[in-house]
Amino acid sequence: MKFSATRADAVVLVAALALLAFLYIKFWGDATRGEQARILVGGKEFSVISLHQDQHLNIPGALGVSVLEIHAGRIRFADSPCHGKQCVHTGWITLGGEVAACLPNRISVQVIGREPRFDAINF
Amino acid sequence: MPRKLTTTRDDHLIAWLTALAVTIHIAESALPSPLPGIKPGLANVVTIAVLIRYGWRMAAWVTLLRVLVSSLLLGSFLSPTFVLSLSGALCSALVLALTYIVAQRLPGAGLSALGYSVLAALAHMAGQFAVAYALFIPHPALLHLLPVLMSAAVIFGAVSGIIAQAMLTKAGA
Repeated sequence: MKFSATRADAVVLVAALALLAFLYIKFWGDATRGEQARILVGGKEFSVISLHQDQHLNIPGALGVSVLEIHAGRIRFADSPCHGKQCVHTGWITLGGEVAACLPNRISVQVIGREPRFDAINF
Repeated sequence: MPRKLTTTRDDHLIAWLTALAVTIHIAESALPSPLPGIKPGLANVVTIAVLIRYGWRMAAWVTLLRVLVSSLLLGSFLSPTFVLSLSGALCSALVLALTYIVAQRLPGAGLSALGYSVLAALAHMAGQFAVAYALFIPHPALLHLLPVLMSAAVIFGAVSGIIAQAMLTKAGA
């Protein structure tokens, strides 16, 4: 069979494939980004909050109040009454499964995503 | 005094071709589908062949009548399935008509069955998806299905296009 695809056909096909690539990047590209964060205090669940609403949270821990900041889909320890400030130095976390923790104050935060990026994290 | 209804040759052609498309549509509706919204859409072969042989008006008639008649026979008339099917068909008929008219005006912009078919399939899926999102499930999670649905549209559109091309070659068009 003689197959007669024209130049316009080629344009349509290339445009269709470009569209598909765009759609995959747009809707699947950030699949690992978390939607919510789970806050644990003393090993018990304190709350689960959305990362879509920018806010500051004051969480009472064993030593005092830790300040968590949520901004643009990310969360971090802005301040904590601990000594080493490990938690603050962890910085912003945003991917599903990522954890920031203040062990002295017994507070930890884990990002919950559709697909956990890590099975486990060791410090 | 009853008036005599006169029919043209085109009317008969439309009826025959619609009957063919309805048969394919109904046979296909018996096939199981992995995801709602994904199906081969082989009735599109008829639309494309009609478009290339008889122009966009006939193609639009055949497509819209096929959706209407199939829904009556399947019992889905005015159900959500019908609304989705109709919006997809309207969208693809519109895109086909536009590209057909442009191709007539601009030499060198002529599409073959393959190009028309891929365009029609994409338009059908996009129209259907837009209506599904707007009317039935306005949830952001639905958007994650879009890449898969559109990929299926491109693949099945290309397959239908190749079949339509083969049919037209056989028919000597």
